[in-house]
Amino acid sequence: MEKIKEIINTVLANRGKAPITDINNDSHLRNDIGFDSLDLAELTVRLEAEFDIDIFEDGIVNTVGEIQTKLAPL
Amino acid sequence: MKLFYRDRATKRSINWEQFIEDINNTQSVPKYCYAQDYYTIFKNIILAFVSGNSITILDSDFSDDEIKQLVGEEEFAQLQSEIPINRNLDFTNAEEVIASLNKNSRNSKLYLFTSGTTGLPKKVSHSFTSLTRFAKISIDRRNDVWGFAYNPTHIAGIQVFLQAFLNQNSIIRLFGFDNTSIETEILDFQVTNISATPTFFRLILPLTKSCTSVTNITTGGEKFDNKIIQQLKKAFPNGRFRNVYASTEAGTVLAAEGDLFSIKPEFENLVKIADNELLLHKSLMGGFENEDEWYRTNDIVTIVNKNPIEFKFVARKNEMINVGGYKVNPHEVEESVRMHPDIINARVFVKRNSILGNIIGCEIVASNEELTEVAIRSYLQSLLQEFKIPRIFKFVSKIEVNRTGKVNRK
Repeated sequence: MEKIKEIINTVLANRGKAPITDINNDSHLRNDIGFDSLDLAELTVRLEAEFDIDIFEDGIVNTVGEIQTKLAPL
Repeated sequence: MKLFYRDRATKRSINWEQFIEDINNTQSVPKYCYAQDYYTIFKNIILAFVSGNSITILDSDFSDDEIKQLVGEEEFAQLQSEIPINRNLDFTNAEEVIASLNKNSRNSKLYLFTSGTTGLPKKVSHSFTSLTRFAKISIDRRNDVWGFAYNPTHIAGIQVFLQAFLNQNSIIRLFGFDNTSIETEILDFQVTNISATPTFFRLILPLTKSCTSVTNITTGGEKFDNKIIQQLKKAFPNGRFRNVYASTEAGTVLAAEGDLFSIKPEFENLVKIADNELLLHKSLMGGFENEDEWYRTNDIVTIVNKNPIEFKFVARKNEMINVGGYKVNPHEVEESVRMHPDIINARVFVKRNSILGNIIGCEIVASNEELTEVAIRSYLQSLLQEFKIPRIFKFVSKIEVNRTGKVNRK
């Protein structure tokens, strides 16, 4: 979770947005965290670089919990 | 004893007398020139033309498989074959070699392979006349010293070589060396003329000393931005800048000062712009097999003045990157990134992405180690639309270039 949070905050910082401190499995990437499609694209690239998994490969992922599930086999 | 060719890589300096002796002592010319040594390539080109033979120039880094694909299995078997020269070469000076070039090259063809941005390179044929169509020959140019900054197996390299040769100039190799060596060669040999891609210049700048001997700088093939022009003016304070439009297929067609191009009167009916793309008439295409009357260059231009027509080059058509349905011009992005005071060079690359189709990345050569991704991005926010701003930055020590001296984006 810490690593995912760190990557999310990197993406936010790159767009000049404030970092999030409170994050849980229900946090919605777009509604709660405020990501747009460019941010989501960047997030996938950064997660892929870290975990070697393309989280959006089989369709859209909405929440932090869903990211966790995708990365779970690791 | 005037210098003909100097090559720091082979530590050889060959003067004109030696070159003429080498020509006189050669009894055959290779059907395929597949050499790494620049001097061998130059010598073979001249030999083919003075003996009325044809020659195919191959890059020395082509693999056997690539060559088989390019020339076919049957021809591949003849890769080493030599064509005997059936006239006695007995030149006593450069003038005689040049006179022989003009007289005997009528039936000669020089075959090249275009670097082809997509798929397999295409074979293009040139004659001595088409290669020297725009060569400027005069007694005033007799003392020019050329900094040779192209791959000698590509059209621009061959054109520069012939321009220098026909004026009996000295040629100093600059291509393929590191910055320090290039600067040393320019200074030591008092180079006066350099023709190179914008990438070549971008990669050598800034220089540690100013090279005052250089008076003529020609560039083209890619977009050339203002920051580079400013740095060039500093490095070459006596340089006069000229921008040339040339393609492997057509040779040199347009020339201009700065980045504004116009169509020369003699080509008025042979060049046109349709849908912002530059088109060339097939009669300019040499031996290029082309069914349509107009050849699509894939070069996207923007018209600045209508009468007479003047335009600027914007991008290559197939270089536009589709990011979630938005078209991004990599040159525009690179130019904006390079405007950052702590950035020396930049190269945009494309990464496949499951959300947007493509995502833009950028390699950065920074002059300040403390430069951060966030800082570059916030700088770019005032210059570019959000979708054009690279999402991934990689800090690198140098930008790799392909065999033509252009940058790769894949």
